[in-house]
Amino acid sequence: MNEKYGNLIPTGRLLDGKPRTILFDAIKCIGCRQCVHACKDWNDHPRTTVFEISSSNWITMEPPVLEGLSPLWARNSCMHCEYPMCAAVCPVEAITKYEEGPVVIDPNVCIGCEYCIYACPWGVISKDDLTHKASKCTMCSDRMSEDKSPFCVQACPVGALDFGLQEEVSAKARTRAQEVGGYVYGDKEAGGARVLYVLKEQKESYGVRNIGPQKYPKHKISLPLMLKDLFTLRCGLQGKVRALYLAIIHPRRLLYRYWPWRQVV
Amino acid sequence: MGRILRVDLNSGSMKDENLPEEPMLRKFIGGQALATYILLRELPLDAKPYGPENKVVMMTGPITGTGFTPGGTKVTAVYLSPLTNHTLGRGAASGFWAVYLKAAGYDGIIVEGAAPKPTYLYINEGRAELRDASSAWGKGATETEDRLRAEVGIKDAKVMCIGPAGENLVHAAMLCNDYNHNAAHSGGAVFGSKKLKAIVVHGTARPPLYDRARLIEAGLRWRKTLMVRHEAEKRTAGHAVDLGAAPNFNFRSTVIEESHIEGFDKNRVTLRPCFQCQRLCPWDVELKSGNHSGTVGHFNAGSEWLDTFYNLGVRGNDALYLAQRINDLGIECSHFSCGVGVAFEAWEKGLLNAEKTGGLKFEWGNVEVIDRLLDMAARREGYWGNLLAEGPVEVAEAIGGDAPKWVVHTKKGTPALHDWRPHFGQMIREIVASGGMKPQGGGSVNPPPDLKYREKWGPLDRNDPAGWSWSNALSEQYRQFCGLIGGCWFAQMHMKPDGLNSMIDSFNATTGWNFDIDQALEAGHRSAMLQSIFGTQRGWIAEHDWKDVGARFLEPVPDGKHKGFTIAKWLPELVYEYHRLMGRHEKTGRPFMDTLKKLGLEEFQEWAQLD
Repeated sequence: MNEKYGNLIPTGRLLDGKPRTILFDAIKCIGCRQCVHACKDWNDHPRTTVFEISSSNWITMEPPVLEGLSPLWARNSCMHCEYPMCAAVCPVEAITKYEEGPVVIDPNVCIGCEYCIYACPWGVISKDDLTHKASKCTMCSDRMSEDKSPFCVQACPVGALDFGLQEEVSAKARTRAQEVGGYVYGDKEAGGARVLYVLKEQKESYGVRNIGPQKYPKHKISLPLMLKDLFTLRCGLQGKVRALYLAIIHPRRLLYRYWPWRQVV
Repeated sequence: MGRILRVDLNSGSMKDENLPEEPMLRKFIGGQALATYILLRELPLDAKPYGPENKVVMMTGPITGTGFTPGGTKVTAVYLSPLTNHTLGRGAASGFWAVYLKAAGYDGIIVEGAAPKPTYLYINEGRAELRDASSAWGKGATETEDRLRAEVGIKDAKVMCIGPAGENLVHAAMLCNDYNHNAAHSGGAVFGSKKLKAIVVHGTARPPLYDRARLIEAGLRWRKTLMVRHEAEKRTAGHAVDLGAAPNFNFRSTVIEESHIEGFDKNRVTLRPCFQCQRLCPWDVELKSGNHSGTVGHFNAGSEWLDTFYNLGVRGNDALYLAQRINDLGIECSHFSCGVGVAFEAWEKGLLNAEKTGGLKFEWGNVEVIDRLLDMAARREGYWGNLLAEGPVEVAEAIGGDAPKWVVHTKKGTPALHDWRPHFGQMIREIVASGGMKPQGGGSVNPPPDLKYREKWGPLDRNDPAGWSWSNALSEQYRQFCGLIGGCWFAQMHMKPDGLNSMIDSFNATTGWNFDIDQALEAGHRSAMLQSIFGTQRGWIAEHDWKDVGARFLEPVPDGKHKGFTIAKWLPELVYEYHRLMGRHEKTGRPFMDTLKKLGLEEFQEWAQLD
């Protein structure tokens, strides 16, 4: 991990260090949203709307119509990027990339600056209305450390979600794509993700985003937002001190935040 | 949660009441038993089904909406049945509605009085209000759902409503929710009499759990027992295939032919499961051939709506088209089918002609006429519409001659429309049930594996009545229990090892009570007893079970692989035995004092059989 990430983003290990991947098979999906509710159930989230990503709804199934009423369905949630821009822009190192795959926000460390929200190429990070912390899918890192599959995966009643070691799941995805005359989405996007989709129709018809293969894709944090926290009480004094300290000891990380025309190696 | 909403439609007032204290909750748990207990305590003996004094009590159970078990989706509504005027009416719904009722903060609702104008009840995050329903009045169930959801402006809101049938007091009108779901057996008519078009619920609360980790473990065990349904099943003739008989031409033939499923293979079928249940019963269909190609239908499992139109000579996609129509209008399909079946048979046999039918040709398989009759029945339009809304017994009496012998009914209610006649357990279940409600039970050839430690019998023989009454009584108890805890018995896999134990463990983990399987069955028994006490109070006696049954329902199977079979030759002994085994007098149906004491129902001793 060190070779790959240096001190650019915090890294960690949950179990055995073997990378894992979630597979979403759009051809099997029936749009029942059992994965969405399972996610709420496992994380003890209130039964807030299932139609929008929020701090209490980490997955949506698109399009936002009633269960089963669309011929095509796509999962919309954290893709657990191999090169997570959310983690790269976090000024306080609140986001960790685990060797097993998950990209996880630590709410105790988060200062609510919102940078990750605008850095995520998939737009799947949201801010908790009450705690003002960033929030998203954890790939059930708590379950993974006990060698269990994510709760959404085990909930799927038609086998449209699968989970396993990266090599195995990637091979499965390719085989399945070939079988149905489709293609794999997520293996190249943003340098590759730990959630793969098997799609058959055009990406647009599923409503999934077109993301280039660039690692750490360019963020969309606006200049006012970047400067705002220097002058406001938001993020707290402690947050500012932590951000400043980390900027001094890891100066290279500032590149990702403040140098949008950078060339990533 | 822990609250019941009491709505008085006369004055428009509402109040929150607490659930009973724990000792009473342990006794009745929730669902049908708790709801019936409340109704028994509150409903005057001289109440009329359509009078404002009738009440609808709706209750969920502890596992409803936890999300960690299959089938945790149920709400049960009870009321005085307008089909029989003297027995308990009961309808149960699955889908999502009950889950969101709990999320809105309530375990149940008591509806009393009658509103002066069309009204709907809107409950959002623990706040309830009555709203004007005139924009949805007269509309079908699907459109009502869409309209009211749009009106409250919340996409996640869930709607339970009535169609035109409920508004016009078709005796067997249904409550419809979440597109695919119907709580049949007259609840819709009682809603209609109260001018209550719908109840819209929305909320974000989670039900309380005693031991979450244990519930997850028990829920996964339960899930492992499920027999998962598949898309291919939805392209068959449904439950008729399992039963080995389809009702054809008013129960005069049972043979299933290729034509029954013509066009099914080309349709677009989508499974549309209930909240967090992996059994995958409900489904949608888009017809791809026939005169109504493009129609979208929303169905649950059971497939009685399919047999409904097979019984009228309709085949293939036309049956699916009509099934969607009847669900949308909100008529219980068997009520319609048994009524029209008699009328069509009368036409065939020359008792009716175009003069008497207003020019309509009552011919088997005439889709246009059936389509027209559906509208007429749902709106009580004209002579035939009004008669069909009343019920099959009234249709037969109006036709006269031999027609009353051709009716299928039990105590003027109609069985879920399948041909149950070849099956022993199911037939006992159908005839001993409270009229005007879906019966529970059915029995099995062998005892459930989880009960084998105490049930040493089986396999039962179709040609020998011994054991069948007990098999039904036993299954009634575990099925009742499943409903009380808020579970759906389509997800109850009693014939699989761990099928009952995993369900009881899920209940224990949710509540923190440690029920064993015997206590669970006792709770189910108690629920069945409350149901019969309700009937006893209003004039039901056990003898009605076998005397007040349509003759056609007891005729031998006319053809097919079960040809000649009937349980009629063992009546009334089978019924007597069933009541004795349940602790009731075989002829009056009143509970013995011992039974009441055993079940802790001494407060109803005035209704006991004393000698």
